[in-house]
Amino acid sequence: MKAANFLNFTGVAVLCMLLFTSCKAEKSRPGDGKIGGAAASRTETNFTIRYRPKWQSQAQFAGVYMAHHKGFYEQYGLDVKIQRLLQAHEATDSLYHGCSDVVHIDLLNALEENRDSTRIVNIGQVTQKNSVLLVGKKSRGINSLEDFRGKKLGMWRSGSFLITELFLLKSKIPMQVVPIDWSISLFTQDVVDVINAMRYNEYHQLLQAGIREEDLFVVDLAELGYQIPDEGFYVTPEFYHAHPQECEAFLRATMDGWLYAFSHREETLDLVLKRMQDDNIRANRTHQGWMLEQMKEVVMPSTDEMGILKKQDYQNALQLMTEFYDFPRNIPYEEFYPNAAKKRR
Amino acid sequence: MLQKREDRTIAFQLISFVFAFMLIVFLASILVTRNMYHNIMLDNQLDNMRHLAHERIYLIDGILFRIEGFARIAKSAMTDYGLSEEDRESFLRELLMENPQIHSICIADSVQQGKQPRIMFTVRHRFSERTISGTDYQYQDWFQIPYITEKPYWTEPWVDTEGKGELVVSYSIPIFESGKRTGLLRFDIELSYLQEMISGTGFFKIGSSFLVSASGTLVAHRDMDLVMNQTLFSLSQEYRGSGLERLGHAMVSGEQGHIHLTGDSPFARAWVYYQPLQSNRWSVGVAIEEDYLLKEVYAILMIQTVASILIFLIVIIIIYARVLSVSRPLKRLALAADRIGSGDFNVQIPESDNSQEIATLSQSFIAMQASLKDYIRNLRITTEEKNQIRSDVMFASEIQTKLIPKNSEHPFGIKALRAYGILEPAGDIGGDLYDYFMIDEDHFCFVIADVLGKGIVAAMAMTMASTLLPSIAPFYKNSNELLSRLNSFLCRNNIESNFVTALLGIIDLKTGTLQYTNCGHVPLYVRKIDRSFVKYGETHATALGVFDNLKIGYDEIQLNMGDEVILFTDGITEAMSAEDEFLGTSGLEDILRKLPTPNPEVTANSILKSVHQFARGSAHKDDITLLVIDYKHPDM
Repeated sequence: MKAANFLNFTGVAVLCMLLFTSCKAEKSRPGDGKIGGAAASRTETNFTIRYRPKWQSQAQFAGVYMAHHKGFYEQYGLDVKIQRLLQAHEATDSLYHGCSDVVHIDLLNALEENRDSTRIVNIGQVTQKNSVLLVGKKSRGINSLEDFRGKKLGMWRSGSFLITELFLLKSKIPMQVVPIDWSISLFTQDVVDVINAMRYNEYHQLLQAGIREEDLFVVDLAELGYQIPDEGFYVTPEFYHAHPQECEAFLRATMDGWLYAFSHREETLDLVLKRMQDDNIRANRTHQGWMLEQMKEVVMPSTDEMGILKKQDYQNALQLMTEFYDFPRNIPYEEFYPNAAKKRR
Repeated sequence: MLQKREDRTIAFQLISFVFAFMLIVFLASILVTRNMYHNIMLDNQLDNMRHLAHERIYLIDGILFRIEGFARIAKSAMTDYGLSEEDRESFLRELLMENPQIHSICIADSVQQGKQPRIMFTVRHRFSERTISGTDYQYQDWFQIPYITEKPYWTEPWVDTEGKGELVVSYSIPIFESGKRTGLLRFDIELSYLQEMISGTGFFKIGSSFLVSASGTLVAHRDMDLVMNQTLFSLSQEYRGSGLERLGHAMVSGEQGHIHLTGDSPFARAWVYYQPLQSNRWSVGVAIEEDYLLKEVYAILMIQTVASILIFLIVIIIIYARVLSVSRPLKRLALAADRIGSGDFNVQIPESDNSQEIATLSQSFIAMQASLKDYIRNLRITTEEKNQIRSDVMFASEIQTKLIPKNSEHPFGIKALRAYGILEPAGDIGGDLYDYFMIDEDHFCFVIADVLGKGIVAAMAMTMASTLLPSIAPFYKNSNELLSRLNSFLCRNNIESNFVTALLGIIDLKTGTLQYTNCGHVPLYVRKIDRSFVKYGETHATALGVFDNLKIGYDEIQLNMGDEVILFTDGITEAMSAEDEFLGTSGLEDILRKLPTPNPEVTANSILKSVHQFARGSAHKDDITLLVIDYKHPDM
């Protein structure tokens, strides 16, 4: 996904410039190259994990920030380094190049990454529900799904675009796709009629740009049957097999961080806004507050369990990819999500 | 209690009334003044705000139109004049170097042929150029929107990371060759340049100016924390009900006008004038805080308040002083009245010329004092006279008592009868009479009479009767003749013409014959030895002392041994109960039926006791006289 904030470009730009230097610096740390080029290392007492978020600092990653800030990772024996966004590289490239140990990407993207062979495995599913929306302007004559026909769709050119693409393929609704990055300007300027939006981010940005909710026609892909959970933590199989306990510790500490974030809203927002300020990313508290609330809906839709990739969800995703995206392999659930096999044992 | 009485003073009441009245007038005045001046100030300030907004718009539009002009010239140079690529580059370079407003220029031509865009900028007045790598730029607003729409486009502020890494606003204009879109030119201006124009000289004098982009983003505002972080709509989400959402929609829609913002927000309690730029869809706002707007109004209100308080205090002091001036002689009068009340009638009544009313009151007091002195003097004389009269009356009462025969078991030593009389006057002296005496050895005469009225006159009439009858009795020996003589005497000598009822009887002690005459008196009862009684109610004439030639008759009763003759006045039958009911003859007869063993003294006292019981609690008082004569009752 390109969960971008139109106000965030400064930080993105600055961080991009840090790409290679930071990656190189982390690759050259002591303990480098233990397993498969991963730079995981154990400090005097704690095991170091370099985590690469999906996007720049925002409440989307509040669980990680709070776990880090409140010392949950240390309590689990980890020393987690939260990396700056490396926009020029795909997240998985960071793994393959040994710049990161754990990356944060979508399930469909992870499957796509494993098209030919299992290059990454899921160590924990952060969100349990999909947040992708298709938003159209009623003023552009869009009042139903049928009205999408022939209209211009601003679709992310990378990231969380797969589910939208699958929707177009499955529903057979012909639309003129305009690939976009992070900006919502094409939509506000009426260059496109429909736009991809994350409920927790771009959708609220549209409201903050003065578009009234009642003037929008909103399609929630999850409600249309595309209930594919998106964001999860991924590592290389080699890393997982070398450090299964550390992977589980990372997941548990992060989920503890989310629980803390949900029950300490203002403290969490203070921390998120400070991180954004430190990163020269412009943001406002209302938007981050909205994002945190929406994340609660998808990270913890019920109090029964969290952080788990459910088999049914995985199979739905795999079936969708196989049926409409020519996915060639039937990757076993336990291979893609080794925690499942571990739990079974 | 003392405090309460103090609260009700004239001064307190006057001051309270004036205070309440002035408070109402003051509040009404404040309200009217505030609204009136508020509207005037608002109109004036809106004019000022409009001028300021025009000034800012003129400055910003000036530079933006200039940039647009440069872009159009550059575009023409690129496409219309057949210049070589080197000449084009040279032209753009000179344009950049000679116009410091231009932050950078980006040439993105022939992009479909894979030509990478170049960006020109200056570093310390030295020309610099950089080629943009990759294709990510094609998804940035500055490129994508004008490229798709084929129309010039002003971007939102963004960071040109490929150039100098500054926050810029860009104007992109598509390039067409042979009617075919081949790329575009981008002219950048630094956002801080526009921000300086918004916050230029005079910025804080009448309010704060701010600049809002097409998406409602605050791109210039005195609070730098808001700039690029907040939109008017994000602020409206944070500060609900403040009016910021209405302002945002109005500004984004390119409207012109003013709005009053309320509530707690960075624009708290402010008036905002807004007007769009001509060059792009941005809008300039000028905000002035309500408190600043009302500063002069508050000053006027403060002066008004102070003046009102001063006026109030002066009025209060005047009222208080005047009331004191008025109440001082009143207090002196009250003191004098107190002394008069305590008996000092010679106290000097203070006179006052403070006011006509007080002077009149003083005169009235003086007149009242004189009247009181006369009254007291007269009262003293009257009291002395009254005491003398009372002394005389007491003396007369004593004489009257002595005129009544003294009770003895056998009057005049006559064994043949017993007699017992009671005279109970209502006052010191009464108008009733009873008497008995011997006319000769065989004839016992008795009389009971009631003079109309009470007091001295009645007592005098009674005295005359009781004196006359014994003296003339030996000459007439008939009851009717005796009363006839008494009638003539009373008619001649009764000054007040009081009539007298009388019952006179003569008992022949030898025969027991009772000859009697009743002149307007109550009946006579004869109680028999068997406790029965006979009533003799017939009268033989009207009351005495009215008609001189009155014809008077008589009757005779034969008394038996042991008969009791019971005589009384109307004080018995007209005795009133507490319920204002008369005892009457029937009540008396009930008493007679219950009498004990015949004995004149016992009978008389029993009747009197019963009458007193009947009349207990009644305010009505009359003379009561009883005479009981027992004929030949053997001693036991």
